[in-house]
Amino acid sequence: VTSFTELPEAQPAPHAGNGRGAAQVVDEVVSGPRARGAGADLRRRLRALQAATESELRRRGAVALPEQTRRRLPRIPANLRGVAEARERTRAVRNALSGLSDVQQGDALRGALSALGRIPRAARIPRVPDRERLQQELPMQLMGALGQLAITLRNLTGRDVIDLESLQDLMSIGFRAMELRSKHRRGEWNFDDYGFETDYADVWVPLARMVYRRYWRVEANGVRNVPRRGGALLVSNHAGVLPFDGVMIEIAILEHGLDRHGRALIADWFFGMPMLSWFLRRTGQTLGHPGDTHRLLSSGELVLVFPEGIKGTGKLWRERYRLRRFGRGGFVESAIRAQVPIVPVSVVGSEEIYPMFTDVRPLARLTGFPYFPLTPTWPWLGPLGLIPLPSKWRIEFHPPIRTDELPPESADDPSVVMRVADEVRDVIQEGVVRNLMQRRGAFRG
Amino acid sequence: VARQRVLITGISRFWGCELAMRLEADPSVEQIVGVDVREPSRDLARTDFVRADIRHSLIGKLVRSLGIDTVVHTNLIVDPRRTTPRVAHETNVIGTMNLLAACSGADSPVRKLVVKSSTAIYGAEPDDPSFWTEDMKRRTPPRDAFSRDIVEVESYVRDFSLRQRDCTVTTLRFSNVLGPMLTTPFQALFTLPAVPSVLGFDPRLQFLHEEDAIEVLYRASVEDHPGVFNVTGPGIVILSQAIKLMGKLNAPVIPPYGGAIATAVLRRFGVLDWPSHLLQLIQYGRVVDIAKLRDEFGYTPRYSSRETVEDFAAKSRVRGLLQEQNRYTYEKDLEEFLQRKGARRSTDVESVPVP
Repeated sequence: VTSFTELPEAQPAPHAGNGRGAAQVVDEVVSGPRARGAGADLRRRLRALQAATESELRRRGAVALPEQTRRRLPRIPANLRGVAEARERTRAVRNALSGLSDVQQGDALRGALSALGRIPRAARIPRVPDRERLQQELPMQLMGALGQLAITLRNLTGRDVIDLESLQDLMSIGFRAMELRSKHRRGEWNFDDYGFETDYADVWVPLARMVYRRYWRVEANGVRNVPRRGGALLVSNHAGVLPFDGVMIEIAILEHGLDRHGRALIADWFFGMPMLSWFLRRTGQTLGHPGDTHRLLSSGELVLVFPEGIKGTGKLWRERYRLRRFGRGGFVESAIRAQVPIVPVSVVGSEEIYPMFTDVRPLARLTGFPYFPLTPTWPWLGPLGLIPLPSKWRIEFHPPIRTDELPPESADDPSVVMRVADEVRDVIQEGVVRNLMQRRGAFRG
Repeated sequence: VARQRVLITGISRFWGCELAMRLEADPSVEQIVGVDVREPSRDLARTDFVRADIRHSLIGKLVRSLGIDTVVHTNLIVDPRRTTPRVAHETNVIGTMNLLAACSGADSPVRKLVVKSSTAIYGAEPDDPSFWTEDMKRRTPPRDAFSRDIVEVESYVRDFSLRQRDCTVTTLRFSNVLGPMLTTPFQALFTLPAVPSVLGFDPRLQFLHEEDAIEVLYRASVEDHPGVFNVTGPGIVILSQAIKLMGKLNAPVIPPYGGAIATAVLRRFGVLDWPSHLLQLIQYGRVVDIAKLRDEFGYTPRYSSRETVEDFAAKSRVRGLLQEQNRYTYEKDLEEFLQRKGARRSTDVESVPVP
């Protein structure tokens, strides 16, 4: 009955009523001029069901009143009249049905359905293949189920056992990945010439955002110092064995309303690694080659560099938050040459994610890694040791250093370059110290 | 302006033939001489074929006696699968050396030299810049004989350009050319039902459409564009994307480490002959910058890298049919018939309609 009472777009049956039998009416509906080509088979069958029920009710004297409805709708334009009438008619039939007893309702519907049974199936509704339908519907179904579970658990325990927001983020990863796959199937790729695919990066943003908000509870300050448009060079300290600080800086920018993907310049070592090589490129990273830097900056991109490089990430625990040498100032040269400002960034919290006690040099040489750390969990717990510790992070974006106002020739002047490089390093080091003082504890807050 | 007299090396091959056909249609070219050890693969209307080995000093006599002013060197073997490394080295290095020797000297009539080279000169390593410009040098020396040859050839050409100041030297570094009429490594790769790739790598690649390649070669021959130019279709293609565009399956069967062994196995079973420098290419990729071609040379390839692959995919579906079609309309039989009938003089070949 439900499917019947919820008829949304039923059209008026052309010759309903006049005391004729349901079967007759239905035949007319099916062969009538308005039924042909009227769209989906389903809609036609529902319309027929309505008409059949209507005349069945009329035959039983249970009143359905198309004449009255017409009188009640005086000021409706002619092209909408049909729709309005159909709505009214549906309502009238529903009212008439609800006025009957259960037995009578059953009889009326049975009569209508038996009349309908003789309607030939005209056009088949194109069936979506099961696999595809499942693919389309599964994320939504799962989401719904998990949402229900979350609500039930909250009602039972009185607190949020499953965090719905994180859940939504996680689900959207699968959903976006699936969307991207179907895009690729249609031949739509949005690569730029560096191999960066924005859609692909967006697949992973929810996961990174979840880590940003829930796991490392990142507090970001001074994001307004990042220019809204145009090139800029973000320069940050580097720590934490695996370069998660880059990801967190990029998310901090996205979280504060800037729709800009930072492009990190990373060590060329990563591009020789399977999986990482294409994953990093596809999420917008490229390697720290002066040519690349200049090209990105002059095309107005937001570029993120870690002048300490591998020396920064490979620091031991006792050396934490002591900034290493800032390369050879190549980043300053690039910024001056491309005439963009430098935005120094201080990151606090990245040092504690993998407290590295020793670096086993021979093992590093053997495996080809730049260093082989021993942490409280790695390699003792195997793959579990790869899980970073939940430290408390703070990121501060400092006011820009105006390398865009220096004359471009000064890029070739080592004294200017080294002076600016030192200035950037000092600002970052000070920022690190300040933020360490403001942080209540390495893992608290 | 004096009309050009052009000498083309490697006339038996695709590039030489195609270029000769383009030049035949150009009335400002007076004479075209093709040099090779084998006959041209197509019938050419007004190109004179001289059977000679460019490794021989005979070339010098030929250049001087004919008063050749433009030499187009298309004979560089950039597909090492076709010959043994030994023959490739002889043809590429010794051949080029000899050709340059033939063109040099104060009495040399040569005013223009066009060399078809390859972007393979940049190599393919993980620490490569995202975009190679013409003035960048690879950081690691090439490990395989073929890449070493290319580097050596270009150094000879550079020396020549410094020595012969009045000669315009154009070096064209072509990327991977794709075309239905052409046999190249990537053509072989993409026509396999499942395309072997390196596990965990999905490099950025570039492709050049054969029509664009011929156009650039032609323009370099008739116009003056001194310098080295990267030539490739704009934009990039990711290997997995190219495989999808070709409608093939991606089979990551080559392990990231010890890939040479895997390719040796593939070669042993006759699946694919994939030399080591190409293995590095499908592992790390290579992208070159064509700003110089666009701004200085004044030509932007009409097919982007992606369009090149798409066009190749479309045309390889009818590959068998295309080869049956005679694209060149020069009728040798007809001309012979007319000559026999005395309707025209045998030397008067310039008025033969050429496409």
